[in-house]
Amino acid sequence: MPLRILRWLGNPWLQIALNALIVTASELFLKLGARETAHLADRWAWTGISGLNSSWTWLGIVFVILSLVSWLYVLKQVPLSIAFPLSNVVHVLVPLSCWLFLGELISPRRWCGIALVLVGLVIVAKPFARMEEKLEEKL
Amino acid sequence: MKIFPFILIFTALITFVAGQLLFKRAMVASQNAGFGKEFATFFVPGIVSMTVSFFLTLGLLQHFDLSYLYPFQGLSVIIIRVTAALLLKEKLTLQLTIGALLISLGVVLVSLS
Repeated sequence: MPLRILRWLGNPWLQIALNALIVTASELFLKLGARETAHLADRWAWTGISGLNSSWTWLGIVFVILSLVSWLYVLKQVPLSIAFPLSNVVHVLVPLSCWLFLGELISPRRWCGIALVLVGLVIVAKPFARMEEKLEEKL
Repeated sequence: MKIFPFILIFTALITFVAGQLLFKRAMVASQNAGFGKEFATFFVPGIVSMTVSFFLTLGLLQHFDLSYLYPFQGLSVIIIRVTAALLLKEKLTLQLTIGALLISLGVVLVSLS
């Protein structure tokens, strides 16, 4: 039974989804941190280093590290040219959560872009699903 | 758009792509030979590259909306698609390329508005 749960957790689909959620959270935290520190602009502001003055930024950094670990786990099993396009589901999740949580606006054109990304994701994901089936047959 | 922010966005993009390729290469090495010297050879530069990209992005975030800025990384789909095929010898299928193009196009649309 625990073995089955482990196997389920190790599913590359789940890992990619989990990774996308962690990345989205990290981006929101970093934006909150950057928003809080934007007024601190000095000579070195363009390096982004002043962002470290906000604890949101540090929370964002923790999530970035988490996302790196989960991403490496994904890369272990999935070719980069499939995993990376799929990870772009964050381009749907990030604008949506900016809209929901940060009060940023989504124009009609941006909604169209989001829809296109989704279509592209489905097209990329299909051969990946087939590849997975083949892997399972081998097991 | 002024040229300096554009250069920063571009640099953040390139360092990001390089980091991804190095990470994938490191994980391939880890499967062949464990987490040894070969893994570190690719993983450490990967981390450095990603760190540069991270701080440049943070600096850009201080001046632009996240929903405007983030999608620029979407261009990396195409760049990674090509570089993974060239440098990592991953298979390049038509379906994957069409999917990647659509994603990039969508991402650019998102960032234009």
